[in-house]
Amino acid sequence: MAVTEQLNEILQGLRAAIPELSGALIASTDGLAIATSVAGGDSNRMAAMVATALSLGKRITDTFGGGGLKETSVVGEQGQIYIYSAGSKGVLAVIAASEANVGLIHIESRDAAARIAHLLG
Amino acid sequence: MPPLQPVKVVIAGPVGAGKTTFIQTLSETEVLNTEELASEQIGKDNTTVAMDFGSLMIDQYSIMLFGTPGQERFHFMWDILCEGAYGLVLLIAADATNQLPHARRILDFITSQVRLPYVLGITRSDLAEDDAPRRIADYFQLDEDRVLPLDPRSSQQCFATLYRLFGLINHNTSPN
Repeated sequence: MAVTEQLNEILQGLRAAIPELSGALIASTDGLAIATSVAGGDSNRMAAMVATALSLGKRITDTFGGGGLKETSVVGEQGQIYIYSAGSKGVLAVIAASEANVGLIHIESRDAAARIAHLLG
Repeated sequence: MPPLQPVKVVIAGPVGAGKTTFIQTLSETEVLNTEELASEQIGKDNTTVAMDFGSLMIDQYSIMLFGTPGQERFHFMWDILCEGAYGLVLLIAADATNQLPHARRILDFITSQVRLPYVLGITRSDLAEDDAPRRIADYFQLDEDRVLPLDPRSSQQCFATLYRLFGLINHNTSPN
């Protein structure tokens, strides 16, 4: 199966495992959308923004001695986004409602990020 | 310029113009950069995805340099980084004439959000025709005193660009 298909399968798996997700996408670390499962919205813009957020997160962990950046988040009053490092080239972002089960999101998404990292190299 | 106040300067321009290099040349402090592997062919391995930050002292002024990413998809960073800025250095590679419209869009986007004095730094002049700086100045309808050839690896030329910008800033009295 081509890499893109496998990446899309991972996103579909996430959506199925976490019904509270309203979207999920995989971006390159330089901000291009690779695979998306986002209804409406602008996935290209989201891809650029999550790459920016992840990169800033890396510099923050560098500065306080936190080691390699694993994940970062943006939490608003009406929703939240969790952004995971997926290897040296990938970013996984999942979008959820405010009441979503964050523990479940992390269990599933961290596993997905590891599989994405393996696929992207 | 009020003395002892930090002076924020933004460095913008298309991909590969030399923004990150410019800041690395001038900064007296360790530069914060946010470079990631480029997945597209842009003529180099890495690209800035959030911002660059460097700083230096000139006389009693603390100069804060903020570099923007070049690709249009990061445009949401351009006006964020320009908040509170005193001036803008727009860098353009002389041998990348296909990027002139993009550089124009960057300039228009930024100046539509904030009124900022700016100068143009023309990089990679050695790789283009001799009249490239003149043609680029014409494209932007700027007097030649607002357009400088610039090797962003040269400390002397980077300072010259900043000084030219400071000359313009001194005609204003407050940041945006």
